[in-house]
Amino acid sequence: MTKWLAVLATAILAVGLVGYATKASGSGANAKAGGTFRMGTSSRIDSLNPYVAFNQDAYNTFEYVYPFLVQYDKTNSKFVSDFATSWKPTDGGKTWTFKTRSGAKWTDGQPLTAKDAAWTITTDLKYAAGGAANAAGLVAHIKSAKAPNANTLVVRYSKAPGNVLGQFQQLAILPQHIWSQHTGNKGTNLKTFSNNPLVGAGPFKLVKFKKDDIALFQRNGSFYGEKPKADAFGLQMFSNEDALVAALKAHQIDAIEAVPGTAIKTLKNAGFNVRSTAGVDQTDFIINSNAKKSGHRELLNLKVKAAMAHAIDRKQIVRVVFLGYARPASSIVPAATGAWANPAVKPESFNLALANKLLDQAGFKKGSDGIRVAGGHKMAYDVITPTDVPSTNRTFQILQPDFKKIGIQLRQRSLDSTAAFDAITTPDNRYLKFDLALWDWVGLIDPDFMLSVVTCAQYGGWSDSGFCDKGYDAMYSQQQLTPNQAKRKALVWKMQRYLQAKRPYIWLAAQDAVWAVSKNWGGLVASPQGPFNSINKLSLSRVHQQ
Amino acid sequence: MRGADYVLKRLVFAVLTVFIAVTINFALFRLAPGSAVTNLARVPHATPQTRLALKRQFGLDKSKFQQYVIYLQQLAHGNLGISFANSQPVSANLRTALINTIPMVFLGTLFAIVLGTITGIISAWRRGTKAEGASIVTALTFYSMPTHWLGLMLVILFAGVLPTGGMSNEFLINPSFTTHVRDLAEHIALPALTLGLVLYGEYTLIVRSAMLETLGEDYVLTARAKGLKPWAVLRRHALRNAMLPITTLIALSLGYIVAGAILIETVFSWPGIGRAVYDAVLQRDYPMLQGAFLVLTISVVFFNLIADLLYFRLDPRITE
Repeated sequence: MTKWLAVLATAILAVGLVGYATKASGSGANAKAGGTFRMGTSSRIDSLNPYVAFNQDAYNTFEYVYPFLVQYDKTNSKFVSDFATSWKPTDGGKTWTFKTRSGAKWTDGQPLTAKDAAWTITTDLKYAAGGAANAAGLVAHIKSAKAPNANTLVVRYSKAPGNVLGQFQQLAILPQHIWSQHTGNKGTNLKTFSNNPLVGAGPFKLVKFKKDDIALFQRNGSFYGEKPKADAFGLQMFSNEDALVAALKAHQIDAIEAVPGTAIKTLKNAGFNVRSTAGVDQTDFIINSNAKKSGHRELLNLKVKAAMAHAIDRKQIVRVVFLGYARPASSIVPAATGAWANPAVKPESFNLALANKLLDQAGFKKGSDGIRVAGGHKMAYDVITPTDVPSTNRTFQILQPDFKKIGIQLRQRSLDSTAAFDAITTPDNRYLKFDLALWDWVGLIDPDFMLSVVTCAQYGGWSDSGFCDKGYDAMYSQQQLTPNQAKRKALVWKMQRYLQAKRPYIWLAAQDAVWAVSKNWGGLVASPQGPFNSINKLSLSRVHQQ
Repeated sequence: MRGADYVLKRLVFAVLTVFIAVTINFALFRLAPGSAVTNLARVPHATPQTRLALKRQFGLDKSKFQQYVIYLQQLAHGNLGISFANSQPVSANLRTALINTIPMVFLGTLFAIVLGTITGIISAWRRGTKAEGASIVTALTFYSMPTHWLGLMLVILFAGVLPTGGMSNEFLINPSFTTHVRDLAEHIALPALTLGLVLYGEYTLIVRSAMLETLGEDYVLTARAKGLKPWAVLRRHALRNAMLPITTLIALSLGYIVAGAILIETVFSWPGIGRAVYDAVLQRDYPMLQGAFLVLTISVVFFNLIADLLYFRLDPRITE
């Protein structure tokens, strides 16, 4: 009733507001000691339910409101304690025993124990083909999870996996006493549970959530780990980047999660701290690599692919498309992931003469119009670009004239991302029709996910290149089941070299994570996913007024 | 009796229109390329089982005809289905979005109606003067402005003075009622003003045109000849007879209130129905799209019906 009265009164009042002007005040924002850190984002939290959520900001939220067994350290290179204080593999890596915190509590006061972790894993296993399908990949190869006592979790695998901690770093532990009431309908109810109000146990508790508008988190006094310095943290969602930047400049918010490239200079000039670090979001040029594709089979020729790679001016892409806030990319595993990226896999040189030479060697002669001919047709191809990745437009504008110089004509085909993916996978997930595309991938720290997207099993799933290679798949399975991390790294490096030679993707640029923060706040911890991330709980726990 | 026939015919026509729209809505979104399931299954941990589970969950493993029958059955029970995107009831999603949208769009439309009517009347009454020229040029300028551009200009112009995003300052802790109302008013001002400015030109032109027509009628000349005061001539004779096209335009505008204003909601980060529909299109969230377009259809049909009935009341020629 109060809300309706307020809306009604607002409607009347606002008529007279055309000429109204007053300095916006943030007086209510910092009513408590410690303050409220207000961050703006152009992304969104699409759902509070981990079995439904899609957007990265939803996963970032889960990191701060739920316990996870482990998290990355601040260098993102090794795993450190979260809810688990220690862990030990036995039985050749087929059994993992985790010791968990004692005395931990959920935000509703119920005890948080290893039993909650065991229940979450067991539930994910039980409903992997139904309501918990979103988490199925995280519990692959697990046979059972049991909690012999409140502080011990024992997880048994059918085969010794190579990325146990990497998977558990992404698996939110859910409160059994809440979620066990929502497993009905053969687990399907797990998905329809709104999970609001949310019972968690992270450093923050979610106190207010309005979809597409606001998520407000308060410090969780009973958190088992490092207590946040700020009293509260808010994420305000903007659908317009100009309004987002204007809000920061007007001090209606304290920080921007990901600064649009065009606003970096403005914000620096306005006195904000603009920080950047190498990111895991990489743009790519996709070449349909399905050996069964019907038309334009010359695109399967490795010399043609190599020529295309040498016709791409990555430096210009970095300079023009990303205004310098990116680095040339070369591998499916982003350099920002640290040791997993193979430093020997370097970007191809921009060399149009070499590209022309390679195409000549392949036997594709130029016609009178300068466009080469292959198999009786011109080498002219559609490049699918998704509208929700705006960088693809400018990137295409850079590629098109350079490709013309090597006798390849490119035409842009802009589609929304759902239609673009449909055009790539058509017909019936067989990848027979498309030729080329521009898109991007956001990698995780552990390379398993990125390496999986080019496996045959991902046809109709994550695959956007039609690449299917049994030799590669064997290497992928092998790295998954290599518990020795040094040996696994050697395999991962080998796979990157293999992919660069086969070129389902030509990697273009790795975008920097860029964020801006008011000089009144400090302490945010840098990460390849930005200051609000699903890598660890450090950044927002340490942010503080200064 | 002829009046009852008229009302009955309009009602039957309205119901038929809604049914046809429901059927078209069902088919239309499914003709768009792209699969809802593939889109939603693109989370880092998704497996082939994920896609199968989603297909089964959303009933997309059934034939299109079966899906249509199920949809009609659900509708008959007042059930709009479950959103593919967030697994919440479509009715709940729509309710939240509409509660956010309606005050803003209503306010903008009201502003446009009032300002457009006043400027339209002035333009007609002061025909051939500078006032008419200024009024028409201003109205046409705003009418032809791209909505999002005008919104962005207002964002730049009022940045630091009025909030540029969101519905309220959610960081205010336990605000008083007055503070809350003031905060809401500050947030609603720019989006409503943008909508009002873009829409008012249309009202100005329609009102001016209708007024010019009636002002040239003999009965207006007679009224003037009788020595009636200009205001009385305007109000009693000219404006009253010019009401028919204005009524139509107002009714149509009110019908579209529930459609929101996608561009304005995007520019001002207003979490309303326009943005919800846009997201639903991108995600191929069929139940949400069907629900939103059903509400829009019913609203437009309802207000058209109201306009028809008002015509019946306002224009005695219809009953003759």
